[in-house]
Amino acid sequence: MIMSDTDFRKELEQLSLVQQRRVGAVFVRNVLALTADPAVAKVVDVAANAEEAGEDELALAFKNAKAAALESHTRCGADSDWQAQAGYFVARAASALVAPAKQAKAPAWEAAANARMARTCGMIESADATMHEESEAQYRFLEQFLNDI
Amino acid sequence: MSALTLERGINEFKAQLDAPMASFFSSCVSCGMCAEACLFYTENPDPRHTPIYKLEPMRRVWEQEYTLVGKLKKALGLGKPVTDAELAEWQELVYNNCSLCGRCSAVCPVGNDITYMIRKMREGMVASGHAPEGLIGASTRAVQIGSPMGVKLPALQAQVKHIEKATGMAVPFDKEGAEYLLMLSSMEIMNYPEYLEAVGKILTNAGKTWTLSTDCFEATNSGIQIGSSDIARELVSRVVNAAEKLKVKTVISPECGHAYTALRWEGPNLIGRPYTFAAKHIVEVLDELRVQGLLQTEGFEEAKLTFHDPCQLVRRGGVIQQPRNLLNLVAKNFVEMSDAGAMNWCCGAGGGVSANEDANEVKMKAFQRKKKQLDELKVDTLVTACANCRIQLEEGLEENEMDLPVVGLTEMIAEHLVEREDKGGAS
Repeated sequence: MIMSDTDFRKELEQLSLVQQRRVGAVFVRNVLALTADPAVAKVVDVAANAEEAGEDELALAFKNAKAAALESHTRCGADSDWQAQAGYFVARAASALVAPAKQAKAPAWEAAANARMARTCGMIESADATMHEESEAQYRFLEQFLNDI
Repeated sequence: MSALTLERGINEFKAQLDAPMASFFSSCVSCGMCAEACLFYTENPDPRHTPIYKLEPMRRVWEQEYTLVGKLKKALGLGKPVTDAELAEWQELVYNNCSLCGRCSAVCPVGNDITYMIRKMREGMVASGHAPEGLIGASTRAVQIGSPMGVKLPALQAQVKHIEKATGMAVPFDKEGAEYLLMLSSMEIMNYPEYLEAVGKILTNAGKTWTLSTDCFEATNSGIQIGSSDIARELVSRVVNAAEKLKVKTVISPECGHAYTALRWEGPNLIGRPYTFAAKHIVEVLDELRVQGLLQTEGFEEAKLTFHDPCQLVRRGGVIQQPRNLLNLVAKNFVEMSDAGAMNWCCGAGGGVSANEDANEVKMKAFQRKKKQLDELKVDTLVTACANCRIQLEEGLEENEMDLPVVGLTEMIAEHLVEREDKGGAS
């Protein structure tokens, strides 16, 4: 049973790039409701089907994910809107999953970390113990994934 | 605007007209070299974008109030008074079309510090009610909330909890007597949370004691950008108070250009006394750790990469070699842009341009200069050390369909960090 981020990351590191993309897609889908940008869901679909995805498809998905992240980031000096900022982190999480192989250092972990930040955005003004529920959920998703492969 | 606000603005211009300003105005030979050095002119060559021309209303106030010829012309009714409409027109020149990058000052053959002059002119623009709404909002939030983006302490604390869980590293708050007080920019908290994790890892691994402050975590200074010394002083004072309360030896300015200028260069003058601590940019601190043998890395980036010099850090701050020393630790294929170092071109969004929505179109035009530099190099990765530059570069690359990742230097170094066995009980 995965109990800590150390175990979580160790398990993720042992997965192939395609497997990381697939399990990362599960992480991102869990926070997908936090983005209003429909393009991000399509990016996640590409990551979830990474085995069949061609290089062109991945490249297009990466381009769209980066555009979604840039579209949703908070401009320097602008008033923070953490609810909207959640969408930025979801897009970043999706972007990590479809990044070119040479850029993708730890795609599933990056997706997980950004998905957690997205979830946290909703409760940013009152950080409490529930903020770690997303990571607990990710542990369970990974266990399920490892059982299935 | 009322006659009263115009009068306030003119009075502020007069108050700002010190000996260097008078000397600079009387020395200008109208050679136009500042125009060719300014990316707002080179990428959008309207004569009004010539840096020295952006000061024209203030120059007229100087001439009419402080020169014999100007006084005579004024007495004879031949002088053209500065009007409110004129200042309204100049707002876009002084704010949208100037990033305070300092390149004009660097090339002026008679040594005029035009950036210093624009910075002073902005004081009068604020007093006359002609500052952009975006900067007014950012400054108001900075004073009232402590962050130009309205980021509050719980947001930082939430991020810290994530980092602690993910790394097992303790991120200390309010640790009295720590060697370093780490300051952040709201941009990093909101858009690049990986920065704090990277710095924390490096400092902890080096065996250094460091801390964040619950009293003040924001290093950026909207007062410097909008041109209000009162606001700038208040914001710097908060950092100074936090640093002195915690009795730290060094305050670390984050990867943010103007925060460094505010803290390192303008700060002591604003508060009217020397600091009791050192103020350094994170890149300076990292390079010192390298020299002390406390920053060891392994492996190299495979990508061909280049470094975008943040203007406030490199040209205005003189921190030129340190980022290169650090890059050479982890990059085998590091190439320089043309004009790299002290004369590198601005990203186009410094000096408050990025916080000013009115400048959205202009800043993308200005980015074309950076695009030209990048097109010459054909690199795989772009590294920088300023969160504001980073977002502008990302936006510019996206708009120009250039597929190039932009990476923060501190994060890149942290990725190659070799864990030391003897960390000396740090946290």
